[in-house]
Amino acid sequence: MTILQAISNAARRVNSRKRMLVLYWFTQSLLAALAALPLLGIAVPMLAHSGYASELLKQFDVMFLVEALQSLSGAGGMLASIYPLIIFITMTAGVFLAGGAVKLIVHDATVYSPREFWSGCGEYFWRFLRLMIYSLFFYAIASALSGGVRKAADRLWGEGLEGAPLVMAGWAANALLILLCGVISTAMDYAKVRLVTDGSRKSLRACLGSLRLVLSNPRVLGAWLILAVLWILFTLLYQPLANSIPATKMPLIVLLAIWQQLYVLARVWLRFLSWGTAAEFDPVLRPPLLPSEEFVPTPAAVVTEDFAI
Amino acid sequence: MRLLASLLLTASLAVAGMSRHIASYDIQATLNHKAHTITGSETLTWWNDSPDTVSTLQFHLYMNAFRNTRSTFFKESGGQLRGDQFKGDEWGWVEVKKMRLASGADLTSSLRFIHPDDDNAEDRTVIEVPLPQPVKPGETIQVSIDFETKLPKVFARTGFRQDFYLVGQWFPKIGVWETAGFRFSTQGAWNCHQFHANSEFFANFGRYDVQLTVPANMVIGATGEQTKRVENVSNKTTTYSFHQEDVTDFAWTVQPTYVRVERMFEAAKETTAAEIAHEAKLQGIPEDDVRLSDVKMIVLIQPEHREQIERTFHATRTALKHFGLWYGRYPYKTITVVDPPYGAGGAGGMEYPTFITAGTSWRLPPESKTLEEVTVHEFGHQFWMQLVATNEFEESPLDEGFNTYSTSLIMDKVYGGMGQLPLTLFGINLSGFFHLPRINDLSMDRAAFLSGPVDDDLLRKSWQYYDGQSYAINSYMRMGVTLDTLERVAGHDTMARIMRTYHQRFRFHHPTARDFVKVANEVSGQNLDWFFNQFFFGNRLLDYRIGAVSSVQRLTPMGRFEKGAGFQVTTRKEADKVDDANDGNKSFKKEYLDTVRIQRHGDAVVPVGITIRFKDGSEEKRQWDGEYRWVKYTFLRSSEIESVHVDPDRKYRLDVSFANNSWVSKYQVETSTHWSASIIFWLQNFMLLITSIA
Repeated sequence: MTILQAISNAARRVNSRKRMLVLYWFTQSLLAALAALPLLGIAVPMLAHSGYASELLKQFDVMFLVEALQSLSGAGGMLASIYPLIIFITMTAGVFLAGGAVKLIVHDATVYSPREFWSGCGEYFWRFLRLMIYSLFFYAIASALSGGVRKAADRLWGEGLEGAPLVMAGWAANALLILLCGVISTAMDYAKVRLVTDGSRKSLRACLGSLRLVLSNPRVLGAWLILAVLWILFTLLYQPLANSIPATKMPLIVLLAIWQQLYVLARVWLRFLSWGTAAEFDPVLRPPLLPSEEFVPTPAAVVTEDFAI
Repeated sequence: MRLLASLLLTASLAVAGMSRHIASYDIQATLNHKAHTITGSETLTWWNDSPDTVSTLQFHLYMNAFRNTRSTFFKESGGQLRGDQFKGDEWGWVEVKKMRLASGADLTSSLRFIHPDDDNAEDRTVIEVPLPQPVKPGETIQVSIDFETKLPKVFARTGFRQDFYLVGQWFPKIGVWETAGFRFSTQGAWNCHQFHANSEFFANFGRYDVQLTVPANMVIGATGEQTKRVENVSNKTTTYSFHQEDVTDFAWTVQPTYVRVERMFEAAKETTAAEIAHEAKLQGIPEDDVRLSDVKMIVLIQPEHREQIERTFHATRTALKHFGLWYGRYPYKTITVVDPPYGAGGAGGMEYPTFITAGTSWRLPPESKTLEEVTVHEFGHQFWMQLVATNEFEESPLDEGFNTYSTSLIMDKVYGGMGQLPLTLFGINLSGFFHLPRINDLSMDRAAFLSGPVDDDLLRKSWQYYDGQSYAINSYMRMGVTLDTLERVAGHDTMARIMRTYHQRFRFHHPTARDFVKVANEVSGQNLDWFFNQFFFGNRLLDYRIGAVSSVQRLTPMGRFEKGAGFQVTTRKEADKVDDANDGNKSFKKEYLDTVRIQRHGDAVVPVGITIRFKDGSEEKRQWDGEYRWVKYTFLRSSEIESVHVDPDRKYRLDVSFANNSWVSKYQVETSTHWSASIIFWLQNFMLLITSIA
C-alpha cells in the first residue's frame, strides 16, 4: 500500500463518520469553553460596560493585559492553581475522546451511534491514558536529545563571538525535536489503533511495538509528513483570511468565529485522518502475529480428585 | 582679595570649554591582551571650586566591584545583572600601585578603603586619602596615580570576551565634592558612593587626554576624538591618543574584527527649514539657536551584523536630530556606536560620553525595532546624564526616566513604536503572518509601570529600591509615564519648552529633581506642586473610576400633596393608571433622573474632567477637584445616560486603570463575543495539539 493510497482510504473512513466528527468537535468545543471561563471571568466583567472595550476591539493593547493581571491581585494565585488543573482536565478529556474516535475509525463496519462513540471513549480510556503516560518518557528522551544538540553547539561555539552558529544549531535542535515528536506522536497513533484492533490492554507492548513499526517503515513517517504539510496548508489558508476580517462589527465577528471553527473542524478531520491512516497501514505493515497456541482440552481421564477443589 | 583674584583666575582657566573643568585626566594605559589587564598611570588635575578647604580626597575604584563575592555589588546582585550571569573565575579588580602629589609627596601608604553606603568592610570600591596640605578654595591639585586594572569576563557593562574588550569604569576616578547648598548638601562633603548592583555613576566635568596602547591588530573606538596614532613596530602595538573636553567619563573598546564605518551627520541635510522654524517658534528663540551642528558618526559593528549598518546609522541620525532639535544641539564632534559581539550582551546598552554601546542579534527582522530602540535610548543619555549630569546613584529616574520619555517620543514618532511582538521560526519572522499587534513605546512604558505602580518611592537612592525590578520600573518607566502625564497636564507645547529650558539651564551642571520642578513651574506659569508633590516626591496611587450610573424614569408622585388650601391624595392605583396612560401616549415626554457617581479609588488627588453623554445626543461636562472620595451628579432630563467618561482625554497616564474610567450603557457584546470566540479557538487548538502528541 502506498502512502497516498493509505491516506485516501483513511479519508474515506473518516468521511463516513461525519456525525462523529461533529460530535467530537462539539464536545471538544464545550471543554474549551469551560477552560476559557476563568479567563473570560476576568476580562468580561472589567470591560462589559467600559468604553475601553471598543478601543481594544480595534487594536489590542498590552496595557490592558497588565491592568487585568494587576486587578487580580489575590486571585492571581488562584488562577495559577486553576490553570494546571484545566490543562490536566483538557489533556484527560483529549485522551477520553480519542477512545471513541479511534474505535469507530478502526472498526469502520460498525454503525455509528453516539452510544457506540461514548462506549469507545470509556472502553479505551485507561489504556490510552497509560499510553499517554508512557509517551511522556519518550518525549523526555526527544527533549534531552534536542537539548544535547544545543549543549554540543554551546560547547563548540558558545565561547565564540558570533551568534550565527548557535542560532543555526538552535534551528537544528528544534528541527530534530519536531521530527522526534512527530515520530513519537505517530507511534502513539499506531499504538492506539493497535490496542483497538487487538482488543488488547497491553499499552506498553503496543507503545513499543508501534515505535518499532514507525522507525522501521519510512512510509509511516512519509504519511506523517504529508499530513503535516496538509496542516500547514490549512493554516496558510486560514490565517490570511482571518487577518483580513476586521472583526469590529457583530456580523464580521460572527464570520470570523465561523471561519475559526471551520479551521478547528479541519484540524479535527486531520486528526481523524492520522488515526485512519494508522488503521490502514497497521494491518499491512505489522508483522503477522504468531498463531496462538491451540487450546487442547484436558482429557477427562486425567482429572484427578486432587484438582477438584 | 588675593584669594578672590586667585579664584577668578583659576575659574577662567577651568571654564575654558563649555563646562567647569573640575576633574581632568591625563592617562597613559597599555592593554595586556594575554592577561586581560591594563597598566596605567593617570594625572588627575582637580580644582576645588568650592569655598571649602578640602583635606582628603575620595576615589571610586569601580572595578573592585568584581573583585570577589564579598563586594557590595556582588552581595546585592548575587552575581547577576540585566540578565547576565557572572561565571567562571575571571574576576575584575583595580589596584592603586602608587599615588603621589605633584610636589612629590607619596600618598600610597595612607590610602584606606571606606564604605560610606553600608557597613561592608570588605567592599573595596571607594578609597580615601588624607592630604598633607589641604586644598584651599580655588586651588588646584595634581595627583599622579599608577594603577593596574584586571578586566572581568564581560559583566555589568565592562570586561572582555576573547579579543573583544569594552573598557569602562576602569581607572581610579575622583568623587564629587559637594559644598553646602550644592544639590542636597548641608555641609561640604565628598559624594563618592560605593558601586552598587542598581546604580550607575556621578562625576564632575573635565578634560580627558588618554593614550591607549593596544595590540596593533585591534580596531579601536573611544570617548572623544582620536588625535594621534603611533605604530610601535618593536612590540607590535599601536598607541592611540584621544582628547575630549567637557565630559564626565572615558570608556573605550577594541576588537580586531570590528567593521568600522564613519559617516557625517550633516545638519543642514538632516533638518529642514520648516523644522527649524517650527522649533524656534515653539521655543521662542532665534532659529540660529535651534540649528544643529555636524557630527562624525562612527559605528563599530560585528561582521555578522554587517547588514544592519544602515539601520544603526539611521537610528543614530534620528537621535542626533530629534534630541538636538528638542533640547539643544549635540555639542561634541563625534559619537561612537559600538555593537558588542555575541555573548557580550552585558557590555551592550550602555552609555558613556560620546560613546555608546547598543546591541543587536544575527538576522534581526526589520519588523523588530530593538536595535533602533537601544541606539536611540543610549544616545539619549548624551543629553540626560552626560550633558545634564544628574546623580545616577541618588536620582536615577532623572536620567533613565527622562531618557525613557524622550526615547519613546522619538520611537513612536519615527518608527511607530517598538514594532511587532517577535515570533520567529527557523529564522522566518511570523509576526506579520499571525497579525501580532504593534506596540508603541509609550504604551509599553505604561504597561511596565502598571506592574508595580507604587511599590516604592519614585525617587530614592538606587540601591535602596525594593529590588532590581522596582529599580527598573521606577527609574525607567514610571518616570517616563509621569513625564508623559505631565505633558498632557501642562500641554504639549509647554512641556516642550519645560524640557528644553531645563536642559539648557542645567547643561554641564548637576541638577536635582527640585530644579526640574522649579523650571516646570516657571515655564508653565502654573504652580504644579500639586502634581510633583504627589507623583515625584510622593507615592500616590492614581485611580478614578465610574461608580454607579442610573437613569430612573420620573413617575407620577403618590401620597398626600398640598393643593390650594387643602390636600390632595394620589393613591398608588391612580398613579399607576396615569403612568400606564403616559406609556401609551407617544407624545408624552418622559423624564429621567440621571445619576452618576464618580469615585476616587486611589490616594492621589487630581482635578479631573467628566463627560456625560445622553441618548438624545446631548452632553454635559463637569470638572471635579477630585478631593473627596466620591462625587455625585444628578440631571433631570428627557433622556437616559448613554455613557460616562472620567478623564476622557486620558491626561492621567498614571491612572492605574483605563477600564474603569468609562461606562457605556450598551453591553459590549462585540468585544465579549470576539474575545470569547478567540480564547475558545486558541484553547481548541491547544487541546488538538495535546491530542496529537499524546
